[in-house]
Amino acid sequence: MALRKIREYGDEILTKKCREVREMTPRLKELVKDMLETMYQAEGVGLAAPQVGVLKRIVVIDIGEGPITLVNPKIVEQDGEQEGSEGCLSVPGKAGMVVRPNHVIVEGFDADMNPVTVEGEELLARALCHELDHLDGIVYVSLVKGELYDTDVEEEETEEEQ
Amino acid sequence: MTGTVNLREVILGILMEVTEQEAYSHIALRDTLDKYQYLPKRDRAFVSRVTEGTLENLIQIDYIIECFSKVPIHNMKPLIRNLLRMSIYQLKYMDSVPDSAVVNEAVRIAQKRGFYNLKGFVNGVLRAAAREMDHIAYPSPKDDPVEYLSVSYSMPQWILHKWLGQFSFEEVERMCDSFRDESPVTLRLRTNRVSKEEIIASLREEGCEVWQHPYLDYAVRISGFNYLQALTAFRQGWIYVQDVSSMLVAEIAAPNWGDYCIDVCAAPGGKSIHLADKLKGSGYVEARDKSEDKVNLIQGNIDRLGMINMVAALRDATVFDQDSFHKADIVLCDVPCSGLGVIGKKQDIRYRMNPTRQEELIRIQRRILSVSQNYVKPGGVLIYSTCTIGADENQLNLKYFLENYPFRLESIDPYIPEQLRCRTSAGGYLQLLPGTHLTDGFFLARLKRNHE
Repeated sequence: MALRKIREYGDEILTKKCREVREMTPRLKELVKDMLETMYQAEGVGLAAPQVGVLKRIVVIDIGEGPITLVNPKIVEQDGEQEGSEGCLSVPGKAGMVVRPNHVIVEGFDADMNPVTVEGEELLARALCHELDHLDGIVYVSLVKGELYDTDVEEEETEEEQ
Repeated sequence: MTGTVNLREVILGILMEVTEQEAYSHIALRDTLDKYQYLPKRDRAFVSRVTEGTLENLIQIDYIIECFSKVPIHNMKPLIRNLLRMSIYQLKYMDSVPDSAVVNEAVRIAQKRGFYNLKGFVNGVLRAAAREMDHIAYPSPKDDPVEYLSVSYSMPQWILHKWLGQFSFEEVERMCDSFRDESPVTLRLRTNRVSKEEIIASLREEGCEVWQHPYLDYAVRISGFNYLQALTAFRQGWIYVQDVSSMLVAEIAAPNWGDYCIDVCAAPGGKSIHLADKLKGSGYVEARDKSEDKVNLIQGNIDRLGMINMVAALRDATVFDQDSFHKADIVLCDVPCSGLGVIGKKQDIRYRMNPTRQEELIRIQRRILSVSQNYVKPGGVLIYSTCTIGADENQLNLKYFLENYPFRLESIDPYIPEQLRCRTSAGGYLQLLPGTHLTDGFFLARLKRNHE
């Protein structure tokens, strides 16, 4: 297992469409493990293969309820709407408001190529949409309502009198 | 995707600062919200609501926790104690949050913060509380009035013991109850340059709702503004935010044209400015306070309002100033106090204050009185005021003062509205009680120096 380098916004690879995984090879298994390790180390809740420079349809997600690995995932159902702050490990120090469906159902395969269905609401739905977008070369920056903002700058708020 | 901010952990952080490290709640909350400015308004509102709500209801929440926990609240790990507190608040007071979400989040946070072995405890207490919330046996007002008031209104028992010794049960309950109401913003309309009608018209034009306060003609309550400092009336200096109780200080001081006044603990300067306004540019008000920050605050107000008969001065009220000996027509002693009258505006005062600290304050109050009385010229007036409730810092200080210095109390009835006149006001002092009076809790007295 090893940490992989996270590609940052501006890297062309993040704009490319990824290819389907035909079969699970030892090399790809190693990739999945590395992606999880890299995600945890960066304190992220999700990571897609292109973010570590591999154009394969693989994502890993853990929103605090245990790791989910999805190979060749597809959104088969989505409904509702949520607006919230979103950030990306490839766009460090920034966040922006993005509208996402509040509920999605995703079908795909696990790391052993067994078919799986993942259903998510709120944060999990957001993470699924965000990571699956990466597989089609979409970074959340293009979806942000309004402007991106810094997540580590502290500004002063004027205090009210009395 | 990056991890999103966990709002409940943010809240827990603030509660830890306030309850374990004695941080001021409004400052801890403001600093935290500053740090998370990018959070959507809804999330910020959630953080404020749960933090403030938990602190306002702390004693009641601890009572509920102890109904379901074998471990007394004060033997718990601080993090677990505060995690349970904010969770109980959400279970009891926030219908919009599903109980299961509250419990699961709390368990998850306990685990994440290294209390894996207490997961079951947190889960057990919160599940039982969620299930039994509507069947909790609270203390009854008949059997144990102190315990009842303490748990119902989250008021420390030592304060209630003192109050119940001096006021009726109904008065005390009304006070506790009124502390929970949103306290309205009261303005003093400064009508030297513009008429009252013009000021009110300007406020209404900018979307404010304005109500006449029944006690003073120039006092109004307002709502419906976003940011007070942006109002034309504020920028023009036509209004000053002040509770009616504070306005009564200048009323009972009743300065005459040309009087020299010293306000020994003046910051931020509201009462001094009121006096200076009443002097209509004549005379002189010296607004003193003991730190540079406070003096700057007063100076800021003098500059903003363009006061010409007022000056800010750096002076500690506990230190005698020879130059002021027998000089002043009016001395204001608005002393530092326990602040129990303004709990409605500063919720955590009640947990911060204790009998030892109150003793210390009383010593300072008497010191300030004994120093400041020197400045009053024979026949001049000293106004004593506090924003607290209870004899220790009020009547007993008057008694001490009258026994030691050549002053007598003078009726304040000629200066106060009819609704407030009572036996003590005829005698020279008044204790205002929130819930009974339409003001903060406040005490004021008029003391006249004998002509040698």
